[in-house]
Amino acid sequence: MDETLLPSKFRYIKVTNTKQAVDVIRQMKTRAFGQLLVVLNTFLLEIRNVRAIPVSPAGGHELPLLRRLQKTAEALNASRPTFPFFEITEMVMGWARDAFSKKTDIKATLERNINGYLQGIRQRRLERVKKIAAVIKDGQKVLTHCNVSGELSMAAQLCKEQNKKVAYFVTETRPYFQGAKLTCWELKRFGADVTLVADNAVGNLMANKMIDMIIVGSDRSCANGDIANKIGTYQIAVLAKEFDVPLYALTQPSNRIPKGEDIPIEIRQPEELLKSTGTNIAPKGTKAFYPGFDVVSHELITEPIAIDVR
Amino acid sequence: MSAKQESPKVLVHGVGNKAFIEDLKKKRVKGVFVMEGRPHLFGAKILCRALLKEEITPTLISDNMAGFLFYKNLVKEVWVGYQSVNGEKALCEVGSLLLGVLGKKHQITVNLFPLAKKRKELGKTEDITCFNSKRIAPVGVKGYVPLLENLSKKYITGIIIR
Repeated sequence: MDETLLPSKFRYIKVTNTKQAVDVIRQMKTRAFGQLLVVLNTFLLEIRNVRAIPVSPAGGHELPLLRRLQKTAEALNASRPTFPFFEITEMVMGWARDAFSKKTDIKATLERNINGYLQGIRQRRLERVKKIAAVIKDGQKVLTHCNVSGELSMAAQLCKEQNKKVAYFVTETRPYFQGAKLTCWELKRFGADVTLVADNAVGNLMANKMIDMIIVGSDRSCANGDIANKIGTYQIAVLAKEFDVPLYALTQPSNRIPKGEDIPIEIRQPEELLKSTGTNIAPKGTKAFYPGFDVVSHELITEPIAIDVR
Repeated sequence: MSAKQESPKVLVHGVGNKAFIEDLKKKRVKGVFVMEGRPHLFGAKILCRALLKEEITPTLISDNMAGFLFYKNLVKEVWVGYQSVNGEKALCEVGSLLLGVLGKKHQITVNLFPLAKKRKELGKTEDITCFNSKRIAPVGVKGYVPLLENLSKKYITGIIIR
């Protein structure tokens, strides 16, 4: 689903090869959890194209397939720096190499493992939705930033079923408006009470005691509990500490990176900030700086709500 | 591109009068970070133009990117616009509070300058559900649109231009 077109258009993008998958990721047509789905489905796509690979005398179809999958993994790993693509592609390539060394069918192994993995993740996400709903109490006001890949809206639905009256404040999340477009759309679909705020209004909300808690997602976690998330999360977390507002982060723990400072932060093109729907928002000669993510120290997180994605 | 390619600069939020910008020029400030200033984008549209006129290069950031600049030690000092001030607090451009809190955490001086024009304290829902006159949020979404906010004196660590 092309998330950048919401809420005015609901359109799926057809992806037929690795290059197109990488483009979808780079252009932010999908992000966060959607990236994990794109990665796994791209591997499925490539193994379904296996008939196009000529038979190799060395290893039948298997060696060329392994090489092809390795190229897919490398292309996905190079797509965007902050999300841990490597951790997912490495898992898949581990299954593929294992099948190759045991001389078992790589294609069948990957289809079985990827589908099983996705089923497991789906179940764990639903369990996390229950945890999120349990954290939110009747009458509370929740601030969220960017988009937590559907889990907050599912939790909102659960809260509604539990007769909890909850109000949601959503930051617009410039420059791509994931909050204004996607999160508001998801929450409204479940009939939630939604109020949009500018990214610069979060201090005002907290100082005036207009929110009771903050729920954010995360794109990457470190061994010490630090996270990287959509740009703007850090200042929200600092304000939350200052004004004593609890901050919950949905995390996918990983030990691959020791601490937040080591997370590579994507710096995107200035034009993405300077232009909106083709129109310049600032006069010619203005420069722009667009970091896509920031890092939140574990000390600023009241409680992580984690799921195991390994 | 990496964050290392950016150099530390003064961060300005709000549109000041001509004297304020001329003062920056006198101090030989060559470039500043500018917050775009949702909902009306006065930072992007008006402040950037005024700075360019004085040959000060603005580097625009979205309002959610200020924290990153502090985290990466890219902010030399902060200047925020105020509408009124008393002994306890100043009524400032919305977003000043987050800069004040970040300034306190990262020990960066926060200074005040008078806003060029008087503003209402609250805007309309349409101000935030639309961007550059184009609707961005789904129908039925409410908007909370503060345009000014109080900045306690504990966050004002530098000078106040009267």
